[in-house]
Amino acid sequence: MSQHRPAAAVSDETLVRRFLDGSEPAFRALHERHTPRLRMLVRRLLGRYQHELDDVVQETWIAASRGAHAYRGDAAFATWLAAIAVRIALKRLPQLRRDDGELSDDIPSPSDGGPATVIDLERAIAALPDHQRLVVVLHDVEGYTHDEIAEQLGIAVGTSKATLSRARHALRRALTEGVTNAT
Amino acid sequence: MRPDDDIPIPDLGAELRALFDALPHDAPTDPRAADRLVVRLRHEGFFVIPSPSSLTLLRTGSARDLLFRTRWPLAIAAALLLAALSALGGWTAGRRGSLEEMLTRNDLTVGDRVLLLQRAGSAYVTAAQSYANATARTDTTAIEVASRVLLGAAHAVARNHLDAGIAEQLTSVLQQSATRSRATVWF
Repeated sequence: MSQHRPAAAVSDETLVRRFLDGSEPAFRALHERHTPRLRMLVRRLLGRYQHELDDVVQETWIAASRGAHAYRGDAAFATWLAAIAVRIALKRLPQLRRDDGELSDDIPSPSDGGPATVIDLERAIAALPDHQRLVVVLHDVEGYTHDEIAEQLGIAVGTSKATLSRARHALRRALTEGVTNAT
Repeated sequence: MRPDDDIPIPDLGAELRALFDALPHDAPTDPRAADRLVVRLRHEGFFVIPSPSSLTLLRTGSARDLLFRTRWPLAIAAALLLAALSALGGWTAGRRGSLEEMLTRNDLTVGDRVLLLQRAGSAYVTAAQSYANATARTDTTAIEVASRVLLGAAHAVARNHLDAGIAEQLTSVLQQSATRSRATVWF
């Protein structure tokens, strides 16, 4: 009976339980509900390695499915899923850097002229070094605390703070120079 | 406020903060991504794959019901195995307390051995009564067997000096009625 209720009315915890019971619709409901946000997070974490986006998102869902029995609902499902995505991206980035060797041609750069826009900010974030980008995305975009970031990335809290400081300087410089050059 | 006050971090500033706040949090998704994932997860055994005979059940019942019903042969086999193991365990436990099993044991206390004598005597009497009821006539074979068993028991009691000489008198009386062949040794 309850299986025919709209997915939006069912909690994530219930959907996870049904998924573990073998329900494909429950999995599809979870996927539909959480993939847009997950995809945007992974997109920002990957920076210039956008060609890996689909792969990392899929790997995140597979890892989440395999570990779904461990999800107890202590944290929001979106947070739990994001933590998995961060782990996978963190593992994938060094390998991508090695394979890449040098910066690709389509590095985003701030637009010329006018005040900085959201697109400029996205480009500036994407152009940051990997470790700075991860900290900025998690702290300034996703709202994680430094303790949470330190735990997620396996670094010291002070390192997270120092990295964020450098990243903000770099962002401001990139956005200001873009605007300054135009005026 | 976040607990990150001890290391100086430059403030975002109103303009940059506004840009961060305006960043979108959702990205468009590929509608076929879920299909690909489902296929992949099914290969890993995540979703129940119904057999053709259970398609009707799939339409009407839950996945858990389907899982249970497609596995019933396994459940029956497990139940049979459990029943066989229980029967074996029961037989073994029952045999451990049988008269025959007790007679072969040498770890019994004196009290246990007294009880064993009582049980053996009762068994003898019961067996004799059952035999008499079954034949309903005078049976020379039965008389011979019964007297030899009694004689053997009396010999055993006398040989072990268990009864201060009473069994010796009984033995002499029984000896007269028994045949001259050697007594049946049953103990």
